[in-house]
Amino acid sequence: MGLGAAAASFALAGCAAGKQPGAAAIRATGAPQRGGILRVGLTGGGASDSVDAHVPVGTADAGRVINLYDGLYEFDADYVPVPVLAESATPRDGGRVWIVRLRKGVVFHDGRPLTARDVVATYDRVTDPKDPKTGASGLALLKRTVAVDDHTVRFELSEPDAMFVDATAQYSMGIVPVDYDPAAPVGTGPFRLGTFEPGQLTVLEANRDYWREPPFVDEVHLVNFNDQDALVNALLSTQVDVVGQLPLSLIDVVNTDPRLHTVVSETGNWLPFTMRVDTAPFDDARVREAFRLVVDREQMVEQVFSGHGTVGNDMYAPFDPGTPQLEQRTRDVARAKELLTQAGHPDGLEVELVTAPIQSGAVEAAQVFAEQASEAGITVNLRRVDTTTFFGDGYLQYPFSQDFWYTRSFLPQTANGTLPASPFNETHWADPEFIALYEKARATLDDDARHDLVARAQKRLYDAGGYIVWGFFNQADAYQNYVGGGSEHRAGMPVSGFQLRTLWIDREGK
Amino acid sequence: MILKRLGISVFVLLAVSLLVFFFTLLLPGDPAQAILGQQATPERLAALREQLDLNAPWYERYLSWLGGLLVGDLGTSAATGGSVNALLASKVSASVVLMAIAAVIAIPVGLLLGTWSAMRRGRAADQGLTGISLVLAALPEFVIGVALTTLLSTTVFRLLPSVTMAAPGTRVWDYPLQLILPTLTLILVVVPYMIRMTRTTMADVLDSGYVEMARLKGLPERQVIFKHALPHAIGPVAQVIAMQLAWLAGGIVVVEFLFRYPGLGQAMVDAVNTRDVQVVQALSMIIAAFYVIVNLLADVVGILANPKLRTESRS
Repeated sequence: MGLGAAAASFALAGCAAGKQPGAAAIRATGAPQRGGILRVGLTGGGASDSVDAHVPVGTADAGRVINLYDGLYEFDADYVPVPVLAESATPRDGGRVWIVRLRKGVVFHDGRPLTARDVVATYDRVTDPKDPKTGASGLALLKRTVAVDDHTVRFELSEPDAMFVDATAQYSMGIVPVDYDPAAPVGTGPFRLGTFEPGQLTVLEANRDYWREPPFVDEVHLVNFNDQDALVNALLSTQVDVVGQLPLSLIDVVNTDPRLHTVVSETGNWLPFTMRVDTAPFDDARVREAFRLVVDREQMVEQVFSGHGTVGNDMYAPFDPGTPQLEQRTRDVARAKELLTQAGHPDGLEVELVTAPIQSGAVEAAQVFAEQASEAGITVNLRRVDTTTFFGDGYLQYPFSQDFWYTRSFLPQTANGTLPASPFNETHWADPEFIALYEKARATLDDDARHDLVARAQKRLYDAGGYIVWGFFNQADAYQNYVGGGSEHRAGMPVSGFQLRTLWIDREGK
Repeated sequence: MILKRLGISVFVLLAVSLLVFFFTLLLPGDPAQAILGQQATPERLAALREQLDLNAPWYERYLSWLGGLLVGDLGTSAATGGSVNALLASKVSASVVLMAIAAVIAIPVGLLLGTWSAMRRGRAADQGLTGISLVLAALPEFVIGVALTTLLSTTVFRLLPSVTMAAPGTRVWDYPLQLILPTLTLILVVVPYMIRMTRTTMADVLDSGYVEMARLKGLPERQVIFKHALPHAIGPVAQVIAMQLAWLAGGIVVVEFLFRYPGLGQAMVDAVNTRDVQVVQALSMIIAAFYVIVNLLADVVGILANPKLRTESRS
């Protein structure tokens, strides 16, 4: 990868120098135009790519399901859940029951109307105990889904859940018809599936009967790339119109090309270090605090994200209204040494950090950390493995490692990663006070009261948690100037959160 | 003689099949984990392992795999759930097209330039050609590829597409322009070796007694080269060409990566990433078979070109 990156910057540097003056630099502005084929390049994807609405794995999978299907709710550009196929969701019985009214007049790609029975079938499919889908962990409290009439669904939960709407807004919760078959996928989304060649090409055809503003373009071609260099080259030779997840180090270089522009979004995507709080030496809260104090967060964001990110304060979910403004933790090597001495490591200590290229910047972050920690007498031995090995048997067992998460609100993130029953509790955090606050918050429907509980739970995480949340990274996309409609989105997904229906092509500019 | 070579080849392939099978067993992680990645919950893992039949003992899996190979059935891909044959058919043909075009251009160019260079030994043309081929031979293929892309596609001249993309329902060779850069890269990688080896072999032959004899007899130079010198050079040169072709089958990975060419190399990288064991095994066997076949062909050419060996094989 190192060589590949060097090669890419070499190619780009050459580009900046050899630019032709007067190259078409017209930026698509004004009224959106209809028609055309938009080619979007994405890295990742392979033979196991899928169009199944409920088991998206990679980024390219997410791009497909977001555009083929609609959920009851979705997250808008500010990461607030807004109704989509639902008209409203009303809690009853203190949040133990949710009544969802469906939008009328919505039809599936095959022309059949959307009914409550389809919603029931979807939720039953996701929570099927024999083959639970991705969204099942967020719906652990769901007991039963009942169609009350054609356009009303009742969700019965085992306990009150203030986060129910959040769970329905996840992109892996698209509504599918009763007789759904992933081999011939049907949804209500802005695009229908044309050709699908896993790992190569996905053709999305505009759904002209879409209930919202239909897509401006006729077709979107999602083109998979295995290699960042090839992707950027394809952009420079105008073989793709949009590149999703541009490497952050290339933002400034791409911006110097008069034919291109970038859209950079602040996100809640984070790349933490994870310390197992039940294993030595991290079972001592003083050691954890010392590790958090050795990090120079600004330098980390600068070096790992080329400055395209925001500093973290050991709490996740930066966009959650409940996340408190606590004093920013900054580098303090003297205090870190003092804490280590108190914890019985006066001569420093030696730890192994397991790292893998799970996300661009992960291995670099580990290297920067090792260097920063050495000044406090901490010797960090890096054990670098490949991504598949990382997520293999050892995953969630490493005493000191890393992970990668997309933007989430506090409570769903906690359910996924910071409770004893969480599927990905990498820090083995099981703090009784934290758990009590979480459970109370989850059952509290009143927004202010819940935000207050979230703030207190976050304080616990800030004081004693097992994460080093040193930063949140921006998400960058590169567009040819003749492509209009690109906008920022907090969800962390490329290409404006994959809102492909908002993009359009200025054919004169092209 | 040729039959003996054939027997050895079959034995080599069988040995390779055993090695491939056992080494792929050693890959850390299993396909279910690889496919699900970060989304792997224990329940989903168990469900997928059952679907993929990962719980059978290794010897059963080896025997059924080998049996399948013999009848041309490469097994089931863990990643797609479909047959490996279907997954690889278009990729193998795409790679074969790329290699065939590269070979068809590279072999005559290499032989002619090598011969020409040998005939002009010590002169400026020979020294220039030797210098250029030495430099090219020293450069790794990705450097050549990036340099060509920068020169001909993205920066200096914007003439050619930098990556391969095919519209739905079409194949890569429906867009011949896209094949130029990957083919050119492959040619530039293999031709220098061919030139150098042909030059050395031809130089030896031209220095030999029978060429001197032919010249002394007063034969025209063209007849000396093509009738007396070249047949003696064919055997060793065939070996070099075989080695370069075999290299193409493995070394194509980087080139396919750089130009997003949907061939064997890309399939291999993808299969290793997803721990798609049956696809890795199938690809290893295909590449091994290709090595064995080109080497066998080179041996046959060598035998046929060498009168001594030729008569031995008749007896």
